[in-house]
Amino acid sequence: MVAAGFRVSKDDQGRRHIQLFGQWSLRAPSNDFAKLKKSLEPFFLDTSITWNLNEVEQLDAAGASVLLSGWGNRLNANISFTPEQATLFNTLIGLTRPPSKKIQQDWLAPLIGLGKGVLHLAHHFTEFIHLLILLLIEIAYLIRRPQDFPWREFSANVYKSGVNALPVTALLGFMIGVVMGYLMSKQLHTFGADIYIVNILGLSIIRELGPVLMAVLVAGRSGSAMTAQIGVMRVTDEIDALTTMGISRILRVVLPKVLGLTFVAPLLVLWTSSWTLIGGAFASNLELGISFRFFFDYLPLVVQPVNFTLSLIKGLMFGFVVALVACHFGLRIKPNTESLSNSTTSSVVTAISGVILVNAWFAILTRGIGV
Amino acid sequence: MIESPKQTIPPENIPDQDVICDIQNVCTEFDDNIVHHNLNLTVKRGDILALVGRSGCGKTTLLRHIIGLTKPQSGKVLLFGENLHAMERVAQRRLMNRFGVLFQQGALFSALSVFENVAFPLRELKQFDESVIYQLVMHKLTLVELEPRYADLLPAEISGGMVKRVGLARALALEPELLVLDEPTAGLDPDRSHNFIDLVKQLKKSLGLTVLFVTHDMDTLASLAERVAVLEDKHIIADCSLQELARIDHPFVINFFQSIRSRLERL
Ligand SMILES: Nc1ncnc2c1ncn2[C@@H]1O[C@H](COP(=O)(O)OP(=O)(O)O)[C@@H](O)[C@H]1O
Ligand SMILES: [Mg+2]
Repeated sequence: MVAAGFRVSKDDQGRRHIQLFGQWSLRAPSNDFAKLKKSLEPFFLDTSITWNLNEVEQLDAAGASVLLSGWGNRLNANISFTPEQATLFNTLIGLTRPPSKKIQQDWLAPLIGLGKGVLHLAHHFTEFIHLLILLLIEIAYLIRRPQDFPWREFSANVYKSGVNALPVTALLGFMIGVVMGYLMSKQLHTFGADIYIVNILGLSIIRELGPVLMAVLVAGRSGSAMTAQIGVMRVTDEIDALTTMGISRILRVVLPKVLGLTFVAPLLVLWTSSWTLIGGAFASNLELGISFRFFFDYLPLVVQPVNFTLSLIKGLMFGFVVALVACHFGLRIKPNTESLSNSTTSSVVTAISGVILVNAWFAILTRGIGV
Repeated sequence: MIESPKQTIPPENIPDQDVICDIQNVCTEFDDNIVHHNLNLTVKRGDILALVGRSGCGKTTLLRHIIGLTKPQSGKVLLFGENLHAMERVAQRRLMNRFGVLFQQGALFSALSVFENVAFPLRELKQFDESVIYQLVMHKLTLVELEPRYADLLPAEISGGMVKRVGLARALALEPELLVLDEPTAGLDPDRSHNFIDLVKQLKKSLGLTVLFVTHDMDTLASLAERVAVLEDKHIIADCSLQELARIDHPFVINFFQSIRSRLERL
């Protein structure tokens, strides 16, 4: 194979001729059309030059198109080629890109963008409510026909988002407990208020930190997994397949996820809070010499039991929010990879924001209770 | 001033150059499911070779070995005389540009439009400017009879048959020497599949293409294949022209030939 090349010659009258030879094709691995075009640049500009393509062994669309773009997408009498090449050239000329429309500068663009953003949000919101209503309808249906409850999916979800999350929530909870206990011990010790470590850690962990920590971890672990799973089911038409079997996708896909996570989340809160408290007790033991025995004996005396109830209610709500948001974003995924990744990100971010919002709202509602 | 014309080099006739793909003693197994056992196959330049066999007998797996996606447990797969897995990166990439693949499901990039899918390999070369890329993509799309108005749609928005054709256009974008097609006409209507066959034949003639394809469609097989390799019992039991299949005494081949004979007579 001869790589594409050219040579230039001058005849008696001083006119220049350019002779192309070799393989003007992507087939020849050593061809670099960018370089070829560059070295041909001066000749493209010269209108008097004659081109001869008869020696070209193989001209493919790539070679022809590069030449054409140099000639300004026109053939003229100075160019001689074989009939075969002529057909190729003419085909390519017919495919010239239409001049792209000038995009007019629009001063209202930011405003329009803002409006679109608001509409988009509103759309999200209505769809979310829509999903919620559909879910309630399914639950109502299940109350009438309990035998249709998707137990397998439900227990699978409990296992995946609950049982499998035990190690990581315990580990993180413990470490955060240690850090908090350590810092607070330092501060309290300077005031000689060692004993209050139990009050502070107990209240803050049971009431706030435990549930929020659990929700953040679960949103990252299970929420993203749920979104991605539903998304891939959409991409591969599995959701449609379910529907054609007469199986409600809400009942079979969304409901077990939402109920599963709502069911298991309070238990996870319990678990996470316990480990965080253990971490805190561990740190106060090291720093202040407070024994475990004393820490956990004293805890129920200073933290009202109602806080414990509140934390379980928070767990329920957070689990519900995370799972519902995850399913909402999963069902909106369009069948392409870009949308899949965007939705998964949005799902996690929205779930965490939602949890924090709900938490704030709940804190206001319950501000007089248990403190 | 006239430079001396370069000597034209006669076409190389070294026999090795004519072997596009050489598969020697390939064995493949998934866990304890043996798919290939001592399988041998050679694809020569200019061949239109059909690989046939029961569903699940390992045709796609063999194609994946050939294009370097997977490695057999033992045995050698040589493509253009070289082992894809034992090359340095640049050379490997260059070698991979010499073949085009159409996957069974099309395997288009779902986040890119039809146009961008075909433009993708061309852009990767970094040799062309936008106007050239536009022409080349449109040229390939015309080749596979896809109207320009589909160019801006996403793969999820076009029909399965069109996905196949876009996949072919993408496979052809870099003017490959070898075209590997996994069930190219499955999912095309008879008219389109007829056109598809004509297209491949014509490409073969004009570009000197070598085609290796898997098919279950007897019409495609009868009208396109010049040679047929039958994969059965974990190896190639027959590798010959369609007519010569008649002479092979194996229950699968006999059965197979029965169904193809009438079509051969019609041609
Ligand atoms: N990644 C894989 N893991 C395990 N088994 C596989 C894998 N890919 C293919 N197989 C098995 O190999 C066999 C051949 O598959 P394939 O090559 O896809 O068949 P076909 O001839 O229909 O294209 C099948 O039995 C399939 O189950
Ligand atoms: Mg297959």
